[in-house]
Amino acid sequence: MEGIADSRILIPPRTKSRRAQAVVEQGIKAFFGGNALVAVIVLALITIFLFREGFGFFGQNLSNLRLYRQAGLEYVDIIRGVASRHEALSRNLSEIRLSEVRAAQKRNAPLEEINAALAPFDRFASAFSDTADNLHGIVSDLTEQASELKEQLFARAELLAQRSQLERSGAATAAEKIVVPEIDRAAALTRLREGSANFESVSAEMTAKLYNLLAEAPPLPDPAGQKAFEQWKTRTREYLAGLPAASEKLRTWSPDAPIPWYRSISSFLFGREWVTASFWQDWYGIIPLLVGSILVSIVALFFAVPLGIASAIYVSEIASAHEKRLIKPYIEFISAIPSVVLGFFGIAVVGQAVRAASQSSLLKWISFFPISERLNIFTAGCLLGFMAVPTIFTLAEDALRNVPRGFKEASYALGANRLQTIGRVLVPASLSGIVSAVLLGLGRVIGETMVVLLCAGNRIAIPDFTQGLGAVFQPVHTMTGIIAQEMGEVVRGSTHYRALFMVGLVLFTITLAINYLAQKLVARYRMSIG
Amino acid sequence: MVATLEMPETTSPTIVNQPEQVPKAEIERAMIEIEQLDFAYGAHQVLHGVNLNIPARAVTAFIGPSGCGKTTLLRCLNRMNDLIDSARITQGAIRIEGVDINAPGVDVVDLRRRVGMVFQKSNPFPKSIYDNVAYGLRIAGITKRSLIDEAVEKSLRSAALWEEVKDRLHVSGYGLSGGQQQRLCIARALAVEPEIVLMDEPCSALDPIATAKVEELIRQLKEQYTIVIVTHNMQQAGRCSDHTAFFYLGRLIEFDQTAKIFSNPAQRQTEEYITGRFG
Amino acid sequence: MIAIAFKSRRTRRTERVIFWLLRLATYFILACATYIFLDIGIKGSRTVFTSTPPFINLPFLTEPPQTLYVFDYDGKKMTLSDRQFREWKSAHAGVDVEATSVAYSAGGIWPCIVGTALLVIGSMALALGIGISSAIYLSEYSRNGRWIRLVRIAILNLAGVPSIVFGLFGFGLFVIFFGWNVSLIAGWFTLGLMVLPAIITASEESLRAVPQGLREGSLALGASKWQTIRKNVLPYALPGILTSSILGIARVAGETAPIMFTAAYAMKDEMPWQVAKFTDFFFQGVMALPYHIYVVSSKIPQNEYTERVQYGSAFVFLFLVMLIALTSIVLRERSRSRLSW
Ligand SMILES: Nc1ncnc2c1ncn2[C@@H]1O[C@H](COP(=O)(O)OP(=O)(O)OP(=O)(O)O)[C@@H](O)[C@H]1O
Ligand SMILES: [Mg+2]
Repeated sequence: MEGIADSRILIPPRTKSRRAQAVVEQGIKAFFGGNALVAVIVLALITIFLFREGFGFFGQNLSNLRLYRQAGLEYVDIIRGVASRHEALSRNLSEIRLSEVRAAQKRNAPLEEINAALAPFDRFASAFSDTADNLHGIVSDLTEQASELKEQLFARAELLAQRSQLERSGAATAAEKIVVPEIDRAAALTRLREGSANFESVSAEMTAKLYNLLAEAPPLPDPAGQKAFEQWKTRTREYLAGLPAASEKLRTWSPDAPIPWYRSISSFLFGREWVTASFWQDWYGIIPLLVGSILVSIVALFFAVPLGIASAIYVSEIASAHEKRLIKPYIEFISAIPSVVLGFFGIAVVGQAVRAASQSSLLKWISFFPISERLNIFTAGCLLGFMAVPTIFTLAEDALRNVPRGFKEASYALGANRLQTIGRVLVPASLSGIVSAVLLGLGRVIGETMVVLLCAGNRIAIPDFTQGLGAVFQPVHTMTGIIAQEMGEVVRGSTHYRALFMVGLVLFTITLAINYLAQKLVARYRMSIG
Repeated sequence: MVATLEMPETTSPTIVNQPEQVPKAEIERAMIEIEQLDFAYGAHQVLHGVNLNIPARAVTAFIGPSGCGKTTLLRCLNRMNDLIDSARITQGAIRIEGVDINAPGVDVVDLRRRVGMVFQKSNPFPKSIYDNVAYGLRIAGITKRSLIDEAVEKSLRSAALWEEVKDRLHVSGYGLSGGQQQRLCIARALAVEPEIVLMDEPCSALDPIATAKVEELIRQLKEQYTIVIVTHNMQQAGRCSDHTAFFYLGRLIEFDQTAKIFSNPAQRQTEEYITGRFG
Repeated sequence: MIAIAFKSRRTRRTERVIFWLLRLATYFILACATYIFLDIGIKGSRTVFTSTPPFINLPFLTEPPQTLYVFDYDGKKMTLSDRQFREWKSAHAGVDVEATSVAYSAGGIWPCIVGTALLVIGSMALALGIGISSAIYLSEYSRNGRWIRLVRIAILNLAGVPSIVFGLFGFGLFVIFFGWNVSLIAGWFTLGLMVLPAIITASEESLRAVPQGLREGSLALGASKWQTIRKNVLPYALPGILTSSILGIARVAGETAPIMFTAAYAMKDEMPWQVAKFTDFFFQGVMALPYHIYVVSSKIPQNEYTERVQYGSAFVFLFLVMLIALTSIVLRERSRSRLSW
């Protein structure tokens, strides 16, 4: 052990440029810290840009709604409502006829005989539908007038905006060159109302005719049909009783009644119609999309929750080590399947399979089978459920595995078997972990785009819940789907464009809330496990 | 300590503010002065009013029951506790060669280079033996191969490891036995030629032969280095230290010449601990 | 005693039944996945593989998508790609045929593969750069404070933001506000920021797995913080970081929604490197496999000729993504089994 006491000359004291060194270290730290802030910044930017692009929506939508009233479209829509309710009644009649025919076919009656028996009813139905002819005439005349007025008002508003923009940017001469035509809105509206003056006479005439018709309504052979027919008659009477109210509404309607500012928000949040690029009137109501997203998610979770939790329990408690080593990576592997491939698989295979199944004779007893659309809530829900399984599985398995061994051992020591231990100790102990797994699965499902875009059928309508469970087999559109589908085609800055950003904002808020809830639960779960 | 530390010619052996119940040792030159040190992890206070002067070029042993704060105090000496979020010195000061090491402009990196440390749990880097020892030199900016080679050999010899590893300098340090790993860590600490070496139970994983080697090493090192060693082995403390400090529940109970502590301790607690009646 | 024995026999039976149900559920999931792989694998391989050497349908992998022309001629049904059809026409000058055209259904998917590769490379480089730096800060430098809590909350929440919202954000910020238009670089940023939370989390985990002793040992030798990180922490964490980041690649490659209006074109004639000047490279839109699959499976009328390209692209895409995911999972399992500390 020689040489220890040698002189120490090896390392020079760390004097030179020490300050520079310190500055470099600080700089590196600041650089990393800056990167860590990116997450915060991005989150903030997402919020800002969704707001920035989306917020103008309310103003634009408000003027859209105001124009609807000022141009008299609202007025026409009152009459149109009366007419379309008449049409609905007409449709009901043909439904009654259809069930009548079915009932007769069950008795093996030949077709000619059925038709002969229903001939009076058919005459009644056609007479009924004829009663609205005048009404339809009024509607189509007024529609033309109102849309023309709307066009003019819209064009004028555009020109005005153009001019004020030019003025603001200082090009006063150019601004003056823009000729803004004067529109005699009052006159146009008066014409509109004149055109509808005979609404009252028409409706009175129709009422009289219908009462006569109802009085001589033919009886129906099938008792069930007869019952439906009686119900229809009551509805028709109610309809007729409501006609004076419509006239009253028309009389009191004023094109200049103010539309409060909050109507723009409420018509977005609670509006039941999403109609865009229409010649008549655009509506931006999020409800059909929201309902679509929610229904698809419910179906998805209906499949994913039991499957995900069951497989988590199986893998963490029951499976042999060998199985475990295979199953866990395989399920994780599933999570890597690109959603667009699943969507394509849905179109190519699942949709067909669902429709084929609904047509099979085994399932004939289900009232809403066979279904007509192969792409519907159910198809999309199945695939999304499949997608959510890995998320739920991984997190739930984690939660189960992290239950302290002591809990389990204590339970076994008391003589409980494995099932009792799982059901009474493990699952309750990890419950908040499992619930948060489900929530995160829900977050994934609600935010998923490609599968719903490809497989949910993309019909913007609230499903018909009168069919009960059958509603699940109807096509819908979803929040994610509508953004993906329409974003590429809208005019930048238009109301429609901003409405899509607002939908994105709603989606963002929903997923943040779900995420927040899940994190809260996980935190509580950590605490309770200790 | 922005400027380099200079060896003071003489240091007065006065011990400041020493509580009466702690007898003071006769110290010619204090290298490290610990003054009224209170230390806490969060709300949990671990050291209470420690006053201690550690002599230069001598071996000072810290003894005491597990959890009494020996490691904590040792880590205060090269500010290793900076790494622990909740840890902080709540009162008092530590001076090395008269300079307060916790003063604002002190360069921690330089401090740590001058105050080397061997950890309680051996922690070789997952690199080759050679790279382990050369690490500190390279960090310090030495690139000349021959210098490094020389220093590596010297340090490994000092740590009594050279003969065992000289043929496999370039295999991973992880491939060594526990005792060899600990000596590798000692060699690594020596390679950068610190002025003070802090050793936290350096022999806890070693067999008697290796322990003897390390003890011999410590005796040699004190010619040149100031050494502080934490040990649970009374014989070891007796064999190789010059001074011994006995800690109990975060307080310094007694500090004196090792011979005195082991033959005639002033405090009953010290005696009980040394004779094995508690702890 | 007897009562207990009887009860336990019954409970044992219910136990067995329920365990079987759980097993069934698990294997049902695996079966579904296997069915998907098989269906796409078998139908797709009809497009991608051939029965004659070289056994791989090279034109499908190396040609751009083309329109397919179908017509009857001389009693035979001809299906020709755009290019072939033009050649055929010049060879049969004067012959007038009535051809139906089917978009995208001929040719191959080469530009889509290239575009996806470019998108993945750029966005992963970006995400790894920012992600590893953030993770280093979070695990090595930060102390628990209000800011760090905020950062962590932001990361957690960012991870839950739907990809279509990232798409909207990328569109609003990069495409419109920065004026980058539909471009590679807008796609890089959108995708990169989307996987960022996953990369940060994975990197931080790997960094934290490096034992504290290595840091302390290095610092005690007089290394500065950055020297310690660079020489004694990062090298040991990097394999773990890269392994778990491969899963991020799978995610980036598989997403469609974020690139729909930030980077992807349905059809583009030039390859990405055919640009007039160097900077144009970054500001051009590209074709991408996932978007191509979306286009061919929903934007064109379906008929018997479209299946070839649909299944072919889905197969190639699935194969690539699954290969990446498999690599990641295998690497991770292996590193788990040889824990070094
Ligand atoms: N990082 C830490 N955070 C909080 N408390 C700590 C930490 N490290 C040590 N402690 C506490 O400080 C006290 C002293 O610990 P220290 O490690 O200094 O004891 P020691 O004397 O070295 O014990 P041993 O002989 O077992 O090594 C103990 O009560 C311990 O629990
Ligand atoms: Mg200790």
